[in-house]
Amino acid sequence: MSKTLIVAWREFRHTAMTKAFLIGAIIMPLLMMGLFIVVMPLMMEANTTPMTGTVAIIAPDDVIQEFQDRIHSKENPNAELIEQLPDIVKQDPLASSMLNQTGSNTTNIILQPANFADLEHLKEEVRDGDLAALIVVPNSLLEDQTEEMDDRLEVLIPSSFSPNHTDLLSSAVAKSVVDVRLRRLGHEPSAMLSMVRRPRVAATRLAHDGGEKADNEAARRIIPMAFMMLLWIATFTSGNYLLTTTIEEKGNKVMEVLLSAVSPLQLLGGKILGQAGVSLIMLLMYGGAAIAGLITFALLDLVPISHLLYLVAYFTMAYFMIASIMAAVGSAVTELRDAQSLIGPIMIILIIPLALWPVLSEHPNGIVATVSSFTPPLIPFVMILRITASTETIAAWQIIMSMVIGFSAVLGMIWGCARIFRIGVLMQGKPPSFMQLLRWIRLG
Amino acid sequence: MTAAVEIRGVSKSFGETKAVIDLDLDVPTGSLCGFLGPNGAGKSTTIRMLMSIIHADSGNVQVLGTSALKAKDRIGYLPEERGVYRKMKVGGFVEYIGKLKGVRRSILRKRIDDWLERVELPNIRNRRCEELSKGMQQKVQFLAAIIHEPELIILDEPFSGLDPVNARVIGRIIDELHQQGRTILFSTHVLPQAEQICDRIIMIDEGKKVLDGTVSSIQSQFDPRVIRIEPVDKNCDLSKIVGATLIENTNKSDHLLMRLDDQIDATEVLRKIVLATPVRGIEIVKPTLDEVFIEQVARRRGTKAADQVREEMSHV
Repeated sequence: MSKTLIVAWREFRHTAMTKAFLIGAIIMPLLMMGLFIVVMPLMMEANTTPMTGTVAIIAPDDVIQEFQDRIHSKENPNAELIEQLPDIVKQDPLASSMLNQTGSNTTNIILQPANFADLEHLKEEVRDGDLAALIVVPNSLLEDQTEEMDDRLEVLIPSSFSPNHTDLLSSAVAKSVVDVRLRRLGHEPSAMLSMVRRPRVAATRLAHDGGEKADNEAARRIIPMAFMMLLWIATFTSGNYLLTTTIEEKGNKVMEVLLSAVSPLQLLGGKILGQAGVSLIMLLMYGGAAIAGLITFALLDLVPISHLLYLVAYFTMAYFMIASIMAAVGSAVTELRDAQSLIGPIMIILIIPLALWPVLSEHPNGIVATVSSFTPPLIPFVMILRITASTETIAAWQIIMSMVIGFSAVLGMIWGCARIFRIGVLMQGKPPSFMQLLRWIRLG
Repeated sequence: MTAAVEIRGVSKSFGETKAVIDLDLDVPTGSLCGFLGPNGAGKSTTIRMLMSIIHADSGNVQVLGTSALKAKDRIGYLPEERGVYRKMKVGGFVEYIGKLKGVRRSILRKRIDDWLERVELPNIRNRRCEELSKGMQQKVQFLAAIIHEPELIILDEPFSGLDPVNARVIGRIIDELHQQGRTILFSTHVLPQAEQICDRIIMIDEGKKVLDGTVSSIQSQFDPRVIRIEPVDKNCDLSKIVGATLIENTNKSDHLLMRLDDQIDATEVLRKIVLATPVRGIEIVKPTLDEVFIEQVARRRGTKAADQVREEMSHV
């Protein structure tokens, strides 16, 4: 086995086959996902206890009757809202669970009509816990509302009252008031509701080649971000490992022993290759989880296979760019805190695609997106976002050009990094400045 | 005898600092050669060039008959700055270095167990390096340097930080390796240590070679021609001895020192002294490497620099 591969295997083994990696990079994210998908809905279900007790209400009789009917209705009060949501949200188990839970009409209350004269006495009963709540609906709220009025619908509750129950009462009584207004004007509320219900929109993009393609808002916004974040997480996590292991080797003085057996280039190559394996595992794990999710909700057609192939190509580009930067910085310093001063400016540049995500996603063929997709080291992050966000196929010449510029930049960065690495690994003491690093590249 | 190390006209600078200047030296095959000099003399830079960790600006470095780079796997190296992977197990660490030096895993397994026994560290193969004491870690590092059975072994301050018992264990193994015919380059700034175990000495100062030869040849080359006498009667009169002059005894010890005149046979003077007064002991003084080195510094850099070096050496 060549020395580079021996170094690579050790680097991989002592990063990926450790408890810290298994817990931090694999088990914890899986647990988090499990928490959101399985445990959270269960917990919410457990927390949603039916509202019980007596609620006093000072309101016109027709409002009281409407309110009575509404709180004892089995219909989800949020049904109207849910209907307007995109399919992708409704199909999500967590979102649907939350919507159904928050809107569940599980009340077991007794309504007690009351008079305004008893208001202060009723407030005392609420304070003492004898009443679950007190609702006051001024008559003025049922009159013509064309002018702004000062009167408010009041829901008075004890200090320890559940926020969910407060929302439930407030929403139900407010809707009851609207329904009564409509009835007083001679309209049937359900008929009016159906009249004002917004129709669902199906946007279809007509391509130049004559084809038609349904416009999926969720796919256009979420999936590009997911692709870019996947590259970020996979490359920066392993890049960070590369940084820390290099600093560790310098810090615990094992570097000179290693360099007595391998050349700096063999060491650098082995470390980058080993961490490439770690990065690939993360990409496969998170990417695989995302694809499994898409398969579960029958949304796999949102991600064409060509996008996955581009992901692999731009992942390779991104990884070697980040890895070479991290290895160079790691070799130049002896402590992690010294690395921060060198990594900071680089991170500011690399965070640009994240900051520009809304612009790039909205205008994937705009001037900002096009220029930044030819600018190393932004290329892989911007280009994968453009490819997945664009509703039109990105011109082949742009993809080819980004690959040529990107991989040329990778070669250049590895070359420069190797020259810094050769000098940096033997340096101790004060960390170098950027100008010194440039000098090392020239001398190395 | 062929040279295991041949350095010809090698120079190396770091920016404005000249670490090694036009250095020529040979280390004969099979020798146990002390590579001496004060801190900053250029020893570590020279060793790093031998290990092809850094490259000379000019000149030629040949190791074991080939370039330093090609000979890398045939050299064992214990650097002055010791280091292990703290989280790695002892067996794993030594095996990793051995594999990097080209030894097969199947061979290494048995060899590591054997060597752990020999350095008196049995049953630590599966312990993490961070669990070991500093002295134990140092022995593990020594093991990693020789596990591939190198022809040339370069040891940079191998005894620093070791207690006398462990130093004796390492010293015994160095001696065994030397007896097996391996060439050992032993770098130190503790000159008496080198004087004890080395058969050859190379001394450098400010990047230049100042001495090169066997210990005995250096001692005869720098013979101070002084006789040390321990008389029974401290008030005896030796001023009438022909061919030697009494040196003022400033440290008020029990012995006297007499410097031999030029061209005078030392044995003749010894005989005259013994006839002149009864003595408890009498010997021809041999120079220590410390004294030789200080004299060299004084010649090249003046007495002030020599005094400074003497001061540094007194703290070792």
